[in-house]
Amino acid sequence: MSVYEYDAVIIGGGASGLTASLYLSSHGYKTALISKGDPVCCLSTGCIDVLGGSDTPLDLPEGHPYTLVGRETLTEALSFFMEIMAHAGLPYVGEPGRNRRIITPIGTTKNTGLVPCTMAEADPAEAGHLHVVSFKGIKDFYPSYITSRIRNSAFSVFDAKVGTTLGIATRFEDNAFLDAFISWLHDLEIPHDRIAVPAVLGLEDPVSVMEKISSATGRQVFEIPTLPPSIPGMRLFRALKRSLQAKGGHLYWGREVSSFECQAGRIEAVTLSTTGRPSRVEGKVFILSTGSFVSGGLLASRDRVKETVFGLPVFVPGERKDWFNADFFAAGHAIEKAGIEVDDTFRPKFSKMNNLFACGSILARSEVLKYQCGHGLAISTGMAAAKMCEGMLS
Amino acid sequence: MIRTDVVIIGGGATGCGIARDLALRGVHHYLVEKGDFANGATGACHGLLHSGARYAVNDPEAARECISENAILRKIARKCVEVTGGLFVRLPGDSKKYRDTFLKSCEEAGISTDVLSASRALDLVPDLNPAIEEAVTVPDCSIDPFRLCMLNAFTSRHKGGGILIHHKVVDVIREKGRCAGVKVEDCSTSHIKEIRAKIIINASGAWGDTVARMGGSGVPMTLSKGSLIISNHRLTNMVINRLRPPSDGDIIVPNEAVCLAGTTSIPVDDPDAIEVAPHEVDIVATQAEQMIPRFGATRIIRAYTGVRPLLKAASSDSRSISRGYRIIDHKNGMYSVMGGKLSTYRLMAEKTVDAVVRELGIKAHCRTAEIPLEGQEELSGYPLSKRLKNIEGVVCECELVDRDHVERVVNSLGTQYIGDIQHRTRLGMGPCQGGFCTYRALGIMLETGRMSPEESIRTLRQFLQRRFRGIRPALWGDQLREEQLVESIYLGILGMGRAE
Repeated sequence: MSVYEYDAVIIGGGASGLTASLYLSSHGYKTALISKGDPVCCLSTGCIDVLGGSDTPLDLPEGHPYTLVGRETLTEALSFFMEIMAHAGLPYVGEPGRNRRIITPIGTTKNTGLVPCTMAEADPAEAGHLHVVSFKGIKDFYPSYITSRIRNSAFSVFDAKVGTTLGIATRFEDNAFLDAFISWLHDLEIPHDRIAVPAVLGLEDPVSVMEKISSATGRQVFEIPTLPPSIPGMRLFRALKRSLQAKGGHLYWGREVSSFECQAGRIEAVTLSTTGRPSRVEGKVFILSTGSFVSGGLLASRDRVKETVFGLPVFVPGERKDWFNADFFAAGHAIEKAGIEVDDTFRPKFSKMNNLFACGSILARSEVLKYQCGHGLAISTGMAAAKMCEGMLS
Repeated sequence: MIRTDVVIIGGGATGCGIARDLALRGVHHYLVEKGDFANGATGACHGLLHSGARYAVNDPEAARECISENAILRKIARKCVEVTGGLFVRLPGDSKKYRDTFLKSCEEAGISTDVLSASRALDLVPDLNPAIEEAVTVPDCSIDPFRLCMLNAFTSRHKGGGILIHHKVVDVIREKGRCAGVKVEDCSTSHIKEIRAKIIINASGAWGDTVARMGGSGVPMTLSKGSLIISNHRLTNMVINRLRPPSDGDIIVPNEAVCLAGTTSIPVDDPDAIEVAPHEVDIVATQAEQMIPRFGATRIIRAYTGVRPLLKAASSDSRSISRGYRIIDHKNGMYSVMGGKLSTYRLMAEKTVDAVVRELGIKAHCRTAEIPLEGQEELSGYPLSKRLKNIEGVVCECELVDRDHVERVVNSLGTQYIGDIQHRTRLGMGPCQGGFCTYRALGIMLETGRMSPEESIRTLRQFLQRRFRGIRPALWGDQLREEQLVESIYLGILGMGRAE
């Protein structure tokens, strides 16, 4: 068995685990991040929802994990995140205390906290005319939904010879394709003030693609986040991962924790399953950021919910018959409350593992959909848990 | 105003079967149905073509009808029936005495059986519980109820019959104490049509009493709810029954790529207000697991429930009520055909039409037992090879339905209903239950100009709510994961939360 030693070992490679790892790496700790694959973050809009359901996103709801983070650390975490993303060439805009509005693929409005700068001009309420560009054969984007809701708008369709968002985004990496697209746009002689495009403007450098289109047409250009697989979500994840590697964080990608060793109230190491030799990853502190049900941190059976790595006790809101409301559209199914209860140092309650911390959507009562707080919760609890680790490590 | 000889109310197997029978006897008719075909119990059953064995002990007459219709349907409805064969399995603790009675009753009803040792049964169905004592083969089959209705309606339409789906009967026209026709409302336009007829046939299943009352009469009925669950794997190629007296959760039926397991039997009052309770799912899943242990580890993609329209009996136990049928002549121009089951739909249609032609003074005998269903050859037609040809255009990844196919159905039906597309293409029938592809199908309908954007979003909301009703009782494991993802798409990314 190969043995590796770290200060901090983070399990779960989504937005919370990446933020925690980035924070600890930036502060000079030897960090390992273990993930069984690309995270659910890749399915997201790429926007940082802080409290999308509220007009005052810094008024943190009582009983929510945000109250453990506190307003100050939340604000600090968001600026830490913005710094990293600006450095990674994918700057975000917005301010923690005020929500922004963006257009959804069906022309409704979504409230969110920070947005990638390719969505900076995406406020549907903004005055002026809007032209939507769609792509032939794209499966999850039907522009008439948008034009029916937004006055003074129209759309046209470009044939990219490929119909998937990932396929189109890849084509935008190619300058010849971009030039052809721009010349097509130019010939349309769009009378509108803004141009909206589904979020496919390249995988790596959407900012320069957007700027090229904008300067060639003399119009403001913005992206509309699409359904999964979502390019802005993938860009966000890739940028965070790249930044972590640049800071010296070690990645164990495509690996699952198969067992762990616990002695005298401390986790000593986790073992990673591989097809070859298993690896033993030792750490002084461990952070659990495996997410909720969708990402597999929690697993429900007919009558109970288990935490899949350490078998931690899980808070479960009642019996299965009470987990979901009858109304699909009513926010806040009880099951969203399920998760790990932590104390104010982000350590799981009722657990004997004193050097284990938890962050992200696996936390009990996070109710990500109800509060629309996905990445905001991930980033802020990621940083808060990392700070607690720092306290223990120093 | 439309004039015809016979109006049939109800587009389930019985109604569609009656329409075909009338068509083959040359009687002009209209069929009206408030939903799509197979909207009631026909579409919410387990798709079993009974051998009759399940009824052999308690209801020998129903058993004999079943086995005789079983043989006929295998012949005339080949593209709807999959000849799977069935097993009755006896688990440790199940009465051996009942097994003896069962074998004797099957013999008396003319149902061929064969007793197999546990190891022979496991050869046939490897996922069976290895602890079974023995198994008995019976000629059970699986049947596609929706396709069956469509094919019966096809003949009717072909021979000049009128078929109006999504048309709801709002009133029965009465003149001089007789039923003289119906008023129907077009559910998409609210437009009222009047159809005048000499005879009205009430084949509206669980809604039978309501319809009979519009005609000034009534029918004594008991409604019993039966709930089922669908697994996302085909865990058996044979129908598996439990060899014990009829009870909850005693059957698993393979159907295309999935298995259906059922059922429960709970008396209900209102056929429009039924839901599956989570504990019913637990009962059925636990029982299915006893017969096929792997059922417990398999993802349950949906639960659903249908209402059995049973003949009223003194007994309060709905399982002991006869599954036989009755044709009631209300002596006012209306006939009600009540009770029965999917497997005997053709026989019920035959007997009903016999009575109707007698009253109309027409001499024509029934030919539905001899002539194979028309249009079957075309229906055989959407093989995987065809679906894979246009992989780029696939909009439903679970069932590999492509955009062209959806567009063809939309254009040929001119439909406003997403369910019509789902029934005809299998779009949305797989593990995601339309969570991803319905949005696309609606987008396509939007682009073909069949719907306005507002209607399209309204339909999407209705679909999501209906879908959730089916999924909610069975949410755990992978299905719960997927459900939360679907929620995050519609409520998160698309912003379709309550505020709308």
